[in-house]
Amino acid sequence: MTNDNSAVPLSHLFVFETKQMLEQLERLILDGEKSGGLKTSIDEVFRIMHTIKGSAAMMLFNDISSLAHSVEDVFYYLRETKPLTVDYSELADLVLRTIDFIKDEVEKVENGSGPDGDCSGIREKSREFLSVLQVTDRVIENNSSKSVGDEQKCQYDIDANPKSLGEDKTKYQAVVYFDEDCGMENIRAFTLVHELGELAQDIEYLPKDILENDGSAEVIKEEGFKIEFTTTHSLARMQAFFTKTMFLKKFHLEMVDTIDVAKPPKIKTIDLGDQIFESALLDDPVMPIVQEIVPHGDSKQSFISVNVSKMDILMDLVGELVIAEAMVTQNPELQGVTLDKFYKSVRQLRKITGELQDTVMSIRMVPLSATFHKMNRIVRDMIRQLDKQADLQIIGEQTEVDKNIIEHISDPLMHLIRNAVDHGIESSEERIAKGKSAVGKIRLEAKSAGGDVWIVIKDDGGGLNREKILSKAIERGLIANDDGLLTDQQVYSFILQPGFSTKDVVTEFSGRGVGMDVVAKNIEKVGGTISVDSVQGEGTTMSIRIPLTLAIIDGMKVKVGNSIYTIPIIAIKESFRLQDQNLITDIDNNEMIMIRGQCYPVLRLHKRFKVQAAATDLQVGIMVMVEVDGKSLCLFADSLLGQQQVVVKALPSYIERIRGIAGCTMLGDGSVSLILDVAGLA
Amino acid sequence: MRVLIVDDALFIRRTLKMMLEQNGYEVVGEAEDGVEGILKYNELKPDLVTMDITMPKMDGLAALKAIKKINPTAKVVMITALGHENTVKESVLSGASGFIVKPFVQEQVLRGLSAFK
Repeated sequence: MTNDNSAVPLSHLFVFETKQMLEQLERLILDGEKSGGLKTSIDEVFRIMHTIKGSAAMMLFNDISSLAHSVEDVFYYLRETKPLTVDYSELADLVLRTIDFIKDEVEKVENGSGPDGDCSGIREKSREFLSVLQVTDRVIENNSSKSVGDEQKCQYDIDANPKSLGEDKTKYQAVVYFDEDCGMENIRAFTLVHELGELAQDIEYLPKDILENDGSAEVIKEEGFKIEFTTTHSLARMQAFFTKTMFLKKFHLEMVDTIDVAKPPKIKTIDLGDQIFESALLDDPVMPIVQEIVPHGDSKQSFISVNVSKMDILMDLVGELVIAEAMVTQNPELQGVTLDKFYKSVRQLRKITGELQDTVMSIRMVPLSATFHKMNRIVRDMIRQLDKQADLQIIGEQTEVDKNIIEHISDPLMHLIRNAVDHGIESSEERIAKGKSAVGKIRLEAKSAGGDVWIVIKDDGGGLNREKILSKAIERGLIANDDGLLTDQQVYSFILQPGFSTKDVVTEFSGRGVGMDVVAKNIEKVGGTISVDSVQGEGTTMSIRIPLTLAIIDGMKVKVGNSIYTIPIIAIKESFRLQDQNLITDIDNNEMIMIRGQCYPVLRLHKRFKVQAAATDLQVGIMVMVEVDGKSLCLFADSLLGQQQVVVKALPSYIERIRGIAGCTMLGDGSVSLILDVAGLA
Repeated sequence: MRVLIVDDALFIRRTLKMMLEQNGYEVVGEAEDGVEGILKYNELKPDLVTMDITMPKMDGLAALKAIKKINPTAKVVMITALGHENTVKESVLSGASGFIVKPFVQEQVLRGLSAFK
């Protein structure tokens, strides 16, 4: 019996495993659909359904179990009879609905409430599907008029040639009763008969149809299973045989002369109820081994599930540790003192904190694949609903990002994908008329570049309508008039404005639930940015840039006047002091530097952030060339202070998000440094 | 008694292991498919094997037959769900010592296996 103690981790395990299986199942179905039919994965689906059924039944989640069972039945039939006509898309629908139902239920379990959904609708569907299969199959079968039934009907005969009773042979009659709820009593009876075959001959039994008729299980349950046989073995030997049968509750065994199987004999009743259990325990000399069990190291478990909040605390602590380390090792009081041994220890400390931090970070990193594959499902459901054709191509699903980030971008991604299918991709007729292939293409791609992860959603649909967006922008007073100076990207980014997402605005984009401004906000929440690009008639590309992780980065500290800014190391290409001849100034007084034949704009940080700089002469200060998203520019600062790992903290909520600032961090001496967002500066 | 658990569902393996270990059985190994089951059997030579029927790579029936070839007296108890009567029949013919029907509770497992003590 499961007690509460042990039930807790088991339900966790159930949730974990079932979720994994459902994911696998969903992938199987969707992949199968793409490659034309589920034929190849029937075995696999059957097996997964079977396993889910078993586990759910153990947890007493009867609805999940019975639903899985009915779907399993369908696949069992498919596997065994290999019917010729199967509506695979209907089948996929059925399985997907089942997956959805079970997923919901499992989530309820995960959240601590019991599963209470009603699956009767889907179960009915599944039954219907199976009966349709069977009917069509029978029709085909009849045409080829072949009887398969004969083979199954043949009875298992224990002893084909009955012998006459020899002198040393004794005839026995037995009635056995199995434990309640042991299940499949008829097969148990069959097992008994089969094993008895090794010891005895001329075996007869009642009910006779234990193999053909599963209903015989009921009879055996109520009236017991009656056997008659002859054997050369002793009564004690035969008693021992029966005692060794699994789930045997009790049996009557007696010697007889006449065959009268129908009447149960009344002597030699051995009740195997609780006594057999106890006596077995007492008889067993090795019984006290309970305490001796050696824990075995070969168990399969290689994962633990950890509360996310604990991970967050761990991450925070590591962050604090990094700061504390800097506070100690870069303590102003150490300045100018020669401390060789101290710095040796410091290096050791730094190495360990570095490794610790990398490890903690890697624990939090999760591949995007699960999130991406959810999109497969969305596209599939939508194209069926909208009667469009589209193919989702997934690239770079193995790219890893922080778990926190995944949670935040899942919804925006879903929204963007929906938009792409709903408003981007045109109907097949329209596409053909435009000279495109009938099947629309949506590409969902993830890649890491520098310290960021890029997620790009690209469709080859109708694209955005510049004029419509412009006129709406003017109407809403976002711009005064269309002076033709706005770049396409600037125009398209209007759709990210709040209130710009209602249906009548731009036909190509309308939201379901959340608008594009919500998408943009969600992405900004994790420090990301979204940009829109589109070519009318050819498609739209949404690029989302998100930081690899929110937590700790390698930074270069630069001094500008009295302020210290931190530039993410990953963005820095080189740092140099300017040579006079390289400086170019254009008509608008924009400064540029020519390096190796390339022109780079100069951004004076002191001007940008309006601080008093020590160096205003470009040849006195230092140039830091940074690159992001293919764009390069040179940041001008007073001096470089050195490299340090910094813990990124968001700016306090009372400060509005500032373009060009990614966040702030605390330095070793306790002062605050702003972290530059290079993409925002470029 | 040394037991080998063969089942593809971690959940079932854990449950069985817990039930058995709390009651004086020693679970010497676990395998998650038929092939691994055979290899583990050969390596560990357990007194008893609990064998799931539906598994990837190689199903329990095939694994049972293979184990019976390695050791004709091997005691293999099949773990099965309702509705697989035919497979169970076949496994009995192939030498399975008995079977337990899923879903099971601890008492059932212990009573069933007590026949082998």
